[in-house]
Amino acid sequence: MKGTARIASVVGLLLSGVMFGMGPVSAEPLKVGYSDWPGWVAWQVAIDKGWFKEAGVDVAFEWFDYSASMDAFTAGKIDANLMTNGDTLVTGSGGGKGIMVMLTDFSNGNDMIVGKPGIKTIKDLKGKKVGIEVGVVEHLLLLHALQEAGMKEKDVTLVNAKTNETPQVLASGQVDAIGAWQPISGEAMKGLPGSKPVYTSAKAAGLIYDALAVNPTSLKNRKEDWMKVIKVWDRVVHYIDDPKTQADAVKIMAARVGLTPEAYTPLLKGTKLIDLAAGKKVFKKAEGLTSLYGSSKIADDFNVKNEVYKQAQDIDSYIDPSLTNATK
Amino acid sequence: MTRIRWFQVLRPLTPRARLVALCFSFVLPVLAWGVVSYVPFVWHPQVLITKPGSVDYLQPGMRMDKTAFAGEVKEALDEHKDPPEGYPTNPIYLPAPHEVLFAFYTAFKTPPAAQDGKWLHQSLWHSIQIIFWGFVISSIIGVPLGVLCGTYAVFSRISEPFVEFFRYLPAPAFGALAVAILGIYDGPKITIIVIGTLFQQILIIANTTRKLDVSLVEAALTLGTSNTQVLSRVVIPGILPDLYRDQRILLGWAWTYLIVAELIGTMSGITWFITQQARYQHFNNVYAAIMMIGIIGLGTDIVLALIGRRLFPWDRSLVKSE
Repeated sequence: MKGTARIASVVGLLLSGVMFGMGPVSAEPLKVGYSDWPGWVAWQVAIDKGWFKEAGVDVAFEWFDYSASMDAFTAGKIDANLMTNGDTLVTGSGGGKGIMVMLTDFSNGNDMIVGKPGIKTIKDLKGKKVGIEVGVVEHLLLLHALQEAGMKEKDVTLVNAKTNETPQVLASGQVDAIGAWQPISGEAMKGLPGSKPVYTSAKAAGLIYDALAVNPTSLKNRKEDWMKVIKVWDRVVHYIDDPKTQADAVKIMAARVGLTPEAYTPLLKGTKLIDLAAGKKVFKKAEGLTSLYGSSKIADDFNVKNEVYKQAQDIDSYIDPSLTNATK
Repeated sequence: MTRIRWFQVLRPLTPRARLVALCFSFVLPVLAWGVVSYVPFVWHPQVLITKPGSVDYLQPGMRMDKTAFAGEVKEALDEHKDPPEGYPTNPIYLPAPHEVLFAFYTAFKTPPAAQDGKWLHQSLWHSIQIIFWGFVISSIIGVPLGVLCGTYAVFSRISEPFVEFFRYLPAPAFGALAVAILGIYDGPKITIIVIGTLFQQILIIANTTRKLDVSLVEAALTLGTSNTQVLSRVVIPGILPDLYRDQRILLGWAWTYLIVAELIGTMSGITWFITQQARYQHFNNVYAAIMMIGIIGLGTDIVLALIGRRLFPWDRSLVKSE
C-alpha cells in the first residue's frame, strides 16, 4: 500500500509538473527575483521597454513577496535576487550565497521609525514600546537611531510584528512607535493622523544598500550575460532621474504595484538610485556607511549580535565589484 | 394558507419556509453589516476629515480617532481658531456594502495596468486551476487509501497513526521546502493544497467507510461473496453517497489553503490581488475578492449538490439536508 501511495504521489507530482510546464530546462533565461521596493520596481521600466532584448540578454523577472524571494533564492530556484546587503548576508549564512555585483539604490528616507502623536524624537521612546520585525532591516535602523541618541536597545521594549502589519499595530495604540519601509510606513502614518517619522534612513544614508545578489555558479558561468544586465541599469536610472522622462517611468512603476502615478512619485524621493558611476565609489573598500564593505560590516555585527546567525560572515566573499568597475 | 410551523423536532421545513430561512441566512449578516456601516451612531469610532481648519498636521481624507478629533476641535475653539471638520466613519478596514459592490464591479472592468499584468478573471482562473489540481491529486491518493483504511484494519493500522500525526503539522510550514523541490511556479502551491487536504481526507473517508451498515457486509459474506467482491460490490456502492458528500466538504477545505499556498513562490492568482490591495489599504477591493471566492465556492457546492441528487436518487439524507 505504501508503494501505491508513493507511486500515486510521484504520478501526482509529475502531473503537476507537466501541467504547468516546469521541470528542468536548459539554456533558460536568467531569473531575477524582485519585490515591492521602489529601487527594484525600477527594473520594470527596462522590462516594459524591452531594453534587455536590445542588450542581447534573456532575463525573466519574477515578482515575489520579499521574504518569499529570499526563500526562492536560497533554494537556488532563481539566479539572482534583489535584496538589501544585510539580508544578502542572512540568506548567505543559510547556504544561499549571493554575490552583490551592482547596487540599485540606498534607502534615503523610505525606511523609518514612526512615532505616535506626542513622540517627537528618538529620546521620547525611552521606556516605550516599539513594534518592529526583529532581525530585519528596520531593527537595524532602530538600533542605529538609538545609538545616535546615546541610548541602548534595552531602553525600549521591542514588540515583534510583521512589517506588513505595522500600520494596524500602530493604529491599535498598543505601541508607541513602529519601524517600516515605504509604502507601509506611509500607510501607517495615514492610519494614525498626527504620527510622524522620528527617524528615517535619510539620516543614516548608506546603512541600507540594495543590491543585485547573484548566485555564484550563475555568475561564473554567465558573466557576460550579467555584464549586459548591469549595463541596462544605467539606462534605467537615467530614464527615471531625467525630468523629461520621469513621468513615463513613474507610470510604469506605479502600474506594477497597483498605485496611481501621483501616489507613487513621493516614494521616489526616499530611494536614492545609484547609477554605475556612483556605484563604483560605493564599491571602494572603506569603513563606515559610504562603502558597501563598511555598511555590510555593520549589518554583519548586527546580525551576529541579534543571533540572526551565529558566525560572522566573510564580507569580501559577498561582494564582487569587478563587473560594475568594468563598465565605462 | 397554513401557518408555517417553524419548530418541529427532526422534521423538514416546508418548501416555502425553507426559502424564507435561506433568504434570512444571507439577509441577516448583510443587514448587520449595513447597520454598522450606514447608521452613524452605531460604532463609527473615527472621524473622516473634510476640512483641516487650523490643525497643521491634518489633511482632508485622513481618518482619526473620535476622541482625538474632539480634543483638536476643543483646543482650536479655545484658542479662537478654525476648528477642523469631519464626519463619523468606520476604520478603513471595514468598507460599506455599496463600496464593496462597486469595487466588485470595477475590479472586473479594470484592464491590467502593468504590461505583463493580468485581468482579474485571469487571476481567478489561475487560482481555480491550483485548487482543481491540488484537490484532484489529493483525491487520487486520499480516496482509495481512505476506503481501504475503513475496510481493512491492517491498512488502518499501517497508515492512520502517521496520518493522525501529520495532519496537525501546518501545511504552510512546508512552503520553503516545496519551493526547493518543485520550483517557484505552480508546483509548490499545489503541493500545499495537497498537504492541507490529503491527511484530513484519508481520515474522514476512512470514518465514513466504517459507518457502513455491518449487516450488509455480513449478508454478502454469508451469500458467499469473496473478499474483493465485498469491497467492490458492497462497500464502495454502499458508501458512495456519503463519500460524495465528504468530497464536497473537502473541496471547501482545499479552498481555505489557497491564500497561503499562493503566497509561496512567485505571486499569482487572486492572492496577488488581495495582498497587493491590502498593502495599499484598498479594503473595498479586498472584500470584493473575498466575496468572489465565496461565490465561486458556494456556486460549485450547489452545482455538486444538484448533481449528487441525480447520481444518488435513493439517498434520503441528501434530500433531507437540502
